[in-house]
Amino acid sequence: MWKFIIRRIIIMFPQLVLLSVIVFILAQMMPGDALTGMALDPDMDPAQLEAMREDLGLNDPWYIQYFSWLGGVLQGDFGQSVAHALPVSDLIWVRLVNTFWLSLMSLFFVYILALPLGLISGRWNDTIADRIITGYTYIGFAAPLFIFALIMLFVFGFQLGWFPTGGSVEANTGGGLAYFWSKVYHLILPSLSLALIGTVTTVQYLRSEVIETKQKEFILTARAKGVPEQKVYTGHVFRNSLLPIAAVFGYEIAALISGSVFVERIFSYPGMGQLFLESIQIRDFSVVTALVLLFGVAAIIGALLSDIILSIVDPRIRIK
Amino acid sequence: MKKFVRRSVVTASMVSMLALAACADEATESEDEGDDGGEETAEEGDDEDDDSEEADDEDDIEVDEDVQSDEVVDLEDFDQIKDEGGDEILDDGSMNVAIVSDSPFEGILNWNFYFGTHDSQILSWFDEPLLQWDEDFVYNQEGAATYEVSEDNLTYTFEINEDVNWHDGEPVTAEDWQFAYEVIADPDYTGMRYGEDIMNVEGVVEYHEGEADEISGIEVIDDKTMEITFLEANPSIVTGGIWNYPLAKHIFEDIPIDEMEESDEVRQNPIGFGPYEVEDIVPGESVALSRNDDYWRGTPGLEEVTLQIVDPNVVANSLRSGDIDYATSFPADQYVDHMDADNLDFLATTDRAYTYIGFKLGEWDADAGENVMDDDAKMADVELRQAMGHAVDDEAIGENFYDGLRWDGTTLIPPSHPEFHDEDNPGLEYDVERANQLLDEAGYEDVTGDGFREDPEGEELVISFASMEGGDTAEPVAQYYIQSWEQVGLNVELLDGRLHEFNAFYDMVEEDEESIDVYQAAWTVGIDPDPGSLYGRTSPSNYSRYVSEENDEILAEGLSEEAFDVEYRQEVYNEWQEYMAENVPVFPTVYRAQVDAMNERVTNTSIGDGTGVYLYEIGVTEEEPVTE
Repeated sequence: MWKFIIRRIIIMFPQLVLLSVIVFILAQMMPGDALTGMALDPDMDPAQLEAMREDLGLNDPWYIQYFSWLGGVLQGDFGQSVAHALPVSDLIWVRLVNTFWLSLMSLFFVYILALPLGLISGRWNDTIADRIITGYTYIGFAAPLFIFALIMLFVFGFQLGWFPTGGSVEANTGGGLAYFWSKVYHLILPSLSLALIGTVTTVQYLRSEVIETKQKEFILTARAKGVPEQKVYTGHVFRNSLLPIAAVFGYEIAALISGSVFVERIFSYPGMGQLFLESIQIRDFSVVTALVLLFGVAAIIGALLSDIILSIVDPRIRIK
Repeated sequence: MKKFVRRSVVTASMVSMLALAACADEATESEDEGDDGGEETAEEGDDEDDDSEEADDEDDIEVDEDVQSDEVVDLEDFDQIKDEGGDEILDDGSMNVAIVSDSPFEGILNWNFYFGTHDSQILSWFDEPLLQWDEDFVYNQEGAATYEVSEDNLTYTFEINEDVNWHDGEPVTAEDWQFAYEVIADPDYTGMRYGEDIMNVEGVVEYHEGEADEISGIEVIDDKTMEITFLEANPSIVTGGIWNYPLAKHIFEDIPIDEMEESDEVRQNPIGFGPYEVEDIVPGESVALSRNDDYWRGTPGLEEVTLQIVDPNVVANSLRSGDIDYATSFPADQYVDHMDADNLDFLATTDRAYTYIGFKLGEWDADAGENVMDDDAKMADVELRQAMGHAVDDEAIGENFYDGLRWDGTTLIPPSHPEFHDEDNPGLEYDVERANQLLDEAGYEDVTGDGFREDPEGEELVISFASMEGGDTAEPVAQYYIQSWEQVGLNVELLDGRLHEFNAFYDMVEEDEESIDVYQAAWTVGIDPDPGSLYGRTSPSNYSRYVSEENDEILAEGLSEEAFDVEYRQEVYNEWQEYMAENVPVFPTVYRAQVDAMNERVTNTSIGDGTGVYLYEIGVTEEEPVTE
C-alpha cells in the first residue's frame, strides 16, 4: 500500500515540473507584461520603466526567469504580485480560503443531492421518478455552468431577492456568529449552482451502479434468505454501489476547483478563480503561474486521492 | 499631464489604465455582456453585405436606425448637481455605495501608495487632498490648506487649517506633509509617485540619490505651515503639480519605507482625515465606514456608509432593487436601458477623455529618447490624413453606438477642460466631398478602376487599421470606419483581419509595429491641459511619432513664464489645437460622458470638479432606499 502511494507521489513531481515549464513558456508568449499598463502612462519615464523591468528580471530569457522562479518556489517564495504589491503567497492565501469554503460547500451539496437521487432512480429504475431524475441529469450534462449560474443569479438573486448577488461576506458584521452566517449565506447560491450541475455525473454513476448491483447473485441470495427489501438496499446494494462513488471523489474536487473559475466570476466571489482571470487580463504572471501550478497540484492530488481510495476499497487495483 | 485624484473619480496617475478606456472597461467583460447590448452587433452583418465595390451610395454606410434603440440622449439633459433643498437629510442615514468593477479592489488604501482606480474611490471617502481645485482644475483656497505664491512663482507657502485632524485625533501637521515627500523621494519607496512633479521640488533628486539628508526645498515653518520651493516655475504647478497628501508621521514613522505598502496601516487599518472613518475591511470586497464627527468642514451627512465592489453587469439591477444607493462611473452603455427606472436619478458630466484615430508616422528612438519621423511612411501625406478625418461621421457613431453618451470630438483638448478647449474649432468635419477633393488634389486616383484609389505613384494603396476589441461595439465601430474610408475610395483593411486584445494592441502600437498604418485608441487626460506628455518630441506615449519644430515651440510656450497669464495660455493652446487639426498626426473621434447613478433618496451630491458640493454633504432623505 505505502509503496503504491509513494510511487504515485514520485510520479507527481515530473508532472508538476512539466506543467510549470509549459505555463512559463505560454506566459512568455503572451503579449505584454505586468508593466505594459504602466507604460501607457505618459508620466512614466521610459528609463525608469526599463529599470523596473530589469529589476523584475522581465528582460531575461524565459529559462533564466524559470530557474530563478523555481529556486524561489522551492523555498516557498512565489514572487511578488506587481498589480497588488503583495507577495503572491499572501495574496493567494486569502483567496484560497474563500475558494476552499466554496468547494467544501459545493461538495456537501453534490453528495447531499447525489445520494438520494441516485439511489431512488437506481432502485426504482424506469419509473416516473427515475425518468424525472435522469431527465434532470441529461439537462445538467447539457447546460453549460456559466449559463446556468447566470440564471440562478438572476432568478434567486435579483428576481426573488433571496440571496446576496455578490461578494463573500457582508460588510461590518462585527465578527463572531453573524460573520459566520453571513459567509454561509453568501456561499449558498454559488455553491448550489456548482453542485446542481456538478452532481449529475455522480447521480448517473450511482444509478447505474445500483441497477447493476441489485441484479447480482449475492443480492438474490439475500432476498432468498428473506432479508427485508429495505435492508437489502441499505445493507447490501448501497454499500457496494458506493465504491465507484468514493473513487471519483478526488476527481470531483479537482473539477469543482476548475468550475469555480466561472462561478466566482459570475457571483463576484473573490476566490482563486476570479484572481486567475483578473491576473491574466493584467498580465500579472507571477500570480498566474502560481495559480496554474496550484490548480495542477489540486488536480494531481485529486487523482492521487481517488487512486488511493480505490485501492483501499478494491485491493485488486494495487496489483500492478 | 499632471496627475491628480478627483473625488470619487478616476485618478490621473493611471492615465495608462485609462488608455484602455476606449475599450478596456468593456473589454474585461466581453464574455458575459452579450445580454445587454446585443442590438448593436446586429447591424454589423447588414453593413458587411453592403460592402460593395461601387460604394458610392452614401446610405450604404448609414447605420440601420431601426435596429437601434431610438433613444439618443444628450449630455445637456443631465444635471451635474443634485440637491433637493426642501427635503430634510436624516441624521442617522446610511447608504450602500457600489464601486463598479469586475474584480476585487487591490486594497492599497493610502494616497501615497495606491495605484488602482477602485482604491482611489474608496480613499476619497475617508481621506482627501489638502488642496481643493476649481472647475478649471486650478487649486483654490477652499481646501484643508490654503496657499500663497511668491513673486517669482517658485515658492509656495501653505497653511493647514487648524481644525484638520487625523481620525485618531492627532492634528494633521506640516511635518506629515513633509514626511510624505520624504517617503516618496526615498530610494526604498515602492509606489509609483516618484515622477517629474516630485522631482521639480528643490532638493528632491539629491535626497533620492542619497546626497542630502533632507529635502532642501521643503521647509516646515510651524506645526501648520510649510513652504515648498520649486526648481522650475510653470503654470502646471497649480494644476496638480503639488503632492498634497500628507502621510501620518506618528503612525508610519516606525515602519521601514519598503514595508509600508504591505503594512496593516495601509491595508487593514488605514487612516485619513476625510469625512468618514474606516470601521471594517473585507479585503477586495467591501469597506464599512462611519461618520467622522471631528471632520473639519462640518458634520458629515451620513452615519454609516458601506462601499462594496459590484460587477458592472449587475450594478443596474442592484440599483433598481435598492440594494445599492449610489454608483459612480455607472456603465454608460447601459444607461438607455435604465434611464426610465422610477427610483433612480442620474448625474453626468464630460469625462476627461477622448477616443482618437492615429497615424503611424515614424518610430521611437529609444537611444536618443525621442520620436523620429519617417518621411516615407505610408501616411506621411498630410492631405491623405485630412481626407481620412473628413470621411468619418463621428456624430453618427456617437448616436448610433453610444446612444449620444459619446459625441463628435473636435480637438485634442476635450471639453472637460472648458478653459482651454477651443469651442470654435470644428476639427475635421464630416465632409465626404472635401475628403474626395483633398485626395484628388494630392494625386490619389483610381488608376486601375477597381474602385480604390492608388497612391500618387500609381502603386496600389492598402492601409492597415488596428483597433482594440472590447464590448459589443468595438467590431461594428471599426467596420464603420473602414466603410467610411472605402466611401472615399481608400482601401483600408483591419490588421490581421480582426480586432486585437488590449495588451496585444498596445504592445504593437508602442513597438511601432510596421504593419500598423492607422490605429484607434483613447486617452484619459490629466487635469493639467499641457499635451506635451502625449504629443511631445520626447514622449514615448506620442504613438503617432509626429514631431515638428513648430509643435515643440507651441508646447514650450504653453509652459513658459508668460503662460501664467491664463489668456495667453488659452491662445497658445488654441493655436496648438488648430495646428494639430491641420497636421492631423491623430484626430479625435468621440468625447464621452461619465454617468453617476443613485437612488432617489440620495441628495446633496455632484459629479465632476469644482461644483462646490463636497462629499461630506451627501445624505439621504428617507430611511429605506426607494424601490421600483
